Amino acid sequence: MRVGAAVLAAVMAVALTGCGLTVPTDPEGTLDRITGGELRVGASPSAGLVATIGEGADVEVSGPLPALIEGFAAEREARIAWTVGGEEELVDGLEAGDLDLVIGGITDATPWVDRASVTRGYPGLPGADGRSIVLLLPLGENALQSALETFLDGEVK
Amino acid sequence: MRSMGRTDLPAEQQRALRKATHWVWFTIAYTSVTITLIAFVVGGSQAMKTAWIEDMLSLIPQIAFLISLLFIRRAPTRKFPYGLHRVMGVGHLVAGVALLAIGGNLAIESVSGLLAAEHPAIGTVHVFGQTIWLGWFMVAVMILVVPGPFFYGHAKAKLAPVLHNKVLFADADMAKADWTTTVASIVGVLGIGIGWWWLDGAAALFISLGIVWDGVKNSRSAVLDLIDQRARTHDDGKPHPLADRIVHDLEAQPWVRRASVRMRDMGQVFHVEAFVVPERNRVRLDQIEAARRHVAGLDWKVQDVVVIPTTSLPPETQD
Repeated sequence: MRVGAAVLAAVMAVALTGCGLTVPTDPEGTLDRITGGELRVGASPSAGLVATIGEGADVEVSGPLPALIEGFAAEREARIAWTVGGEEELVDGLEAGDLDLVIGGITDATPWVDRASVTRGYPGLPGADGRSIVLLLPLGENALQSALETFLDGEVK
Repeated sequence: MRSMGRTDLPAEQQRALRKATHWVWFTIAYTSVTITLIAFVVGGSQAMKTAWIEDMLSLIPQIAFLISLLFIRRAPTRKFPYGLHRVMGVGHLVAGVALLAIGGNLAIESVSGLLAAEHPAIGTVHVFGQTIWLGWFMVAVMILVVPGPFFYGHAKAKLAPVLHNKVLFADADMAKADWTTTVASIVGVLGIGIGWWWLDGAAALFISLGIVWDGVKNSRSAVLDLIDQRARTHDDGKPHPLADRIVHDLEAQPWVRRASVRMRDMGQVFHVEAFVVPERNRVRLDQIEAARRHVAGLDWKVQDVVVIPTTSLPPETQD
């Protein structure tokens, strides 16, 4: 077993350096899919952060947090498909693979940690009002999380 | 008659015990540092979490050893006529059961994570204006903590036979194998890195089964000594050769026809009951006392000796 572990480590080291793999990689390939494609974002309305007008396919989402996500989508050359709902519905959507990202008045004390990947907190977000705001992603899509956190680190002071 | 059990040690054992105590304190200090370091990076990896808890568990044998030392030095009293050597065995058992229980719990956790296909999440950290994947820090910390257990494991493994101390021996054994845990946790994290989410759970399972196995070995060894199996070598490899030596030396006495021995491990020292069938019906007290002294002089571990003249040897004793 020990030798097996060492061999596996060596194989992975080669795989990491040799095959042009990026680390981290998404198990479900979300970041690859949204790049030049569609970013499906769930928005939960929250005063000062996320505002919504209308519903269904015609819904319009605005506010400082959606504006940031539009910036992220533009960087990845992705269109945004908005879904508006309550947090639990949206987290269900993340788990079912129907959504790629959930935004709202969610802080780093969120109880959804077991069901979604939670980004670092961004207290400097416009409209955060001192709260440490986080975004939710499908569990374990680490490349997407890295890309998003890198983007937010650049945008949010 | 002077007191029978042994609570002092010959010079060589005293030196070894001092060194062992130093290494145990060093282990506690080193492990405290690694536990703190890993705490900063533990993240969403089950393998990292399991390796982290294993580090915490490895403190238990150290503490058991140090606490036992306070007791086993005490001379036998009316209340504790065999001395307090068994405290070491009790400490060994406590450490073994803790490993077994927590290791089992961790194994169940990793299996249920694998079955539920929980994808472990590892985010990034923002340091010096750079956003870096936390997984790289996990790998760096784990590489940093690899060498320690290797050194103190081998140092303790050299001292354990000198002191005939099974807690120290088992602890050294686990420390020497500790690098497999560290490598497994690195494999788990890199697995997450390349999108093989299941590798993390598999690595966690590997580590936790290792903990369970250590628990089984330690509990078994401690229980067998506590229920008085015949004394074995420090690694439980074979019956202790001193028993044969005692029987041989007793049978070499001209007044002894046959001899046998019942010897149990009190933890570091042995309790010896020697049975002798004399050549004739009369035995002189000074012969018995001389035999007792001779046996006690064979090894520092056998000070608590009685020699019992009898008409026939009990069948369960070693002849």
